[in-house]
Amino acid sequence: MTAPLAGRSILVTGAGRGLGRGVALACAAAGADVVVASPRENGAETVAAIEARGGSAAWTRCDATAAGDVEAAVAAAVERIGGLDVVIHNATSRRSSEPVQLEDVDDELWHEHASVSLDGAFHCAQAALPHLRERRGRLILMTSPAGIEGSAMLPVYAMVKGAIRGFAKSLAREWAPLGVTVNVISPLAETPAMTSAYEKDPTLEERLARVVPMGHLGDPETEIGPAVVFLAGDGAGYITGQTLAVDGGRFMTL
Amino acid sequence: MLTGRVVLVTGGGAGIGRAIALGLEDAHATVAVVDGDFASREGTAAAFARARESAGPVDAVVHAYVDPAALTSEPLAETVAANWERRCEAILRAALHCCQAAGQELSARGGRLVLVTPTIALTGAAGLVPYATALEGMRALAKSAARQWGARRITVNCVAPPVELMAPDRDGGPSGLALAGRPLGDPDPRVDVAPVVALLTADGGHLVTGVTIPVDGGIVMAP
Repeated sequence: MTAPLAGRSILVTGAGRGLGRGVALACAAAGADVVVASPRENGAETVAAIEARGGSAAWTRCDATAAGDVEAAVAAAVERIGGLDVVIHNATSRRSSEPVQLEDVDDELWHEHASVSLDGAFHCAQAALPHLRERRGRLILMTSPAGIEGSAMLPVYAMVKGAIRGFAKSLAREWAPLGVTVNVISPLAETPAMTSAYEKDPTLEERLARVVPMGHLGDPETEIGPAVVFLAGDGAGYITGQTLAVDGGRFMTL
Repeated sequence: MLTGRVVLVTGGGAGIGRAIALGLEDAHATVAVVDGDFASREGTAAAFARARESAGPVDAVVHAYVDPAALTSEPLAETVAANWERRCEAILRAALHCCQAAGQELSARGGRLVLVTPTIALTGAAGLVPYATALEGMRALAKSAARQWGARRITVNCVAPPVELMAPDRDGGPSGLALAGRPLGDPDPRVDVAPVVALLTADGGHLVTGVTIPVDGGIVMAP
């Protein structure tokens, strides 16, 4: 059994549940020391799941909308093994899967989305850069098929997820001379958010299955996580500014 | 080409917005400029209503507004939170408010919405991370609105000039860009960008929606 991420420190935001939890499990299984950043106690549950399998992890209470929380999480990661190799900004608003008409979007809903996805990305980048540049590290962010091709149901979610790609492409150019890569994963994952979207709209699951060539949503740990492990690992150092779709063929690069 | 059409242009008082407004008038549109910073939804709706009262029922909206502060080049690591907010999120909120106001103006009769999103949205740009972030958000907003409003016969598209044209002092004259290597030469906003906006606003454009058209003389070519 190889451990491609052995000796690496990885910070994952939003790792208390859903996609972030699966990604944290996959990174830990690949040998990384994982800091599970989550504003809620479910972060401790992710750590327990990792430790039960012999992996190494710690929970840091972290709200990505607060710069101080993110700085503390980065410091916690550095403290554990003396550096930070990879930051994965995965956290999104808890209202991400709430369908909305554009005329009904108010500034509060906008702020819910933007503060987690966009301010969170800004905080992660600022706090992590001094450490990432020391170890030619990686920043990985999450977009969505909605961010790439727009969404009639989730226009605000699409907006911030599209914005994440602009962030990553530009930052990839800015940080390339430092040896730090910035990439984006576009997952289509089976998550609690998706499950709740199904509950709100029972036809969604069947409609999704029709437009996903692989016919199902991806498992966070076994189908999305390995792509993150790849981008975090030795073989991906010359890949930057890219969006890697891990979505069962939902969106095929034009 | 646009005779009898009423087009509102945000940011139409200066820079590329003014150049596009003049270019649309060249194409015989009736153009009204929408002024403001679009920071609040209510203020934005009121500004659109004032423009409509002066020009008549609206056929198309062009969102060309940009806060020139967004064009400030600075490494992200040195960007303070207030500047991130101003160069990224305020730009996105302005776009959202203008889209909402445009949707309100266009919903009864259908119409066209065009967002000006420079090509750094597509390519990324070192030093301009906040603005490029906002621009990709605007493109996703355009695509989402295009999907949501298709049934109302509203099209939503993006026109992408070189980012240099967004600077307020270029003001529609010869651009004077010192960028070598454009296969077709440097674009001028009034002569080269406005006609593409007009194309998306004219009769034949009614099934084109959710797209981004670079108008940059042949630098960015989509896959």
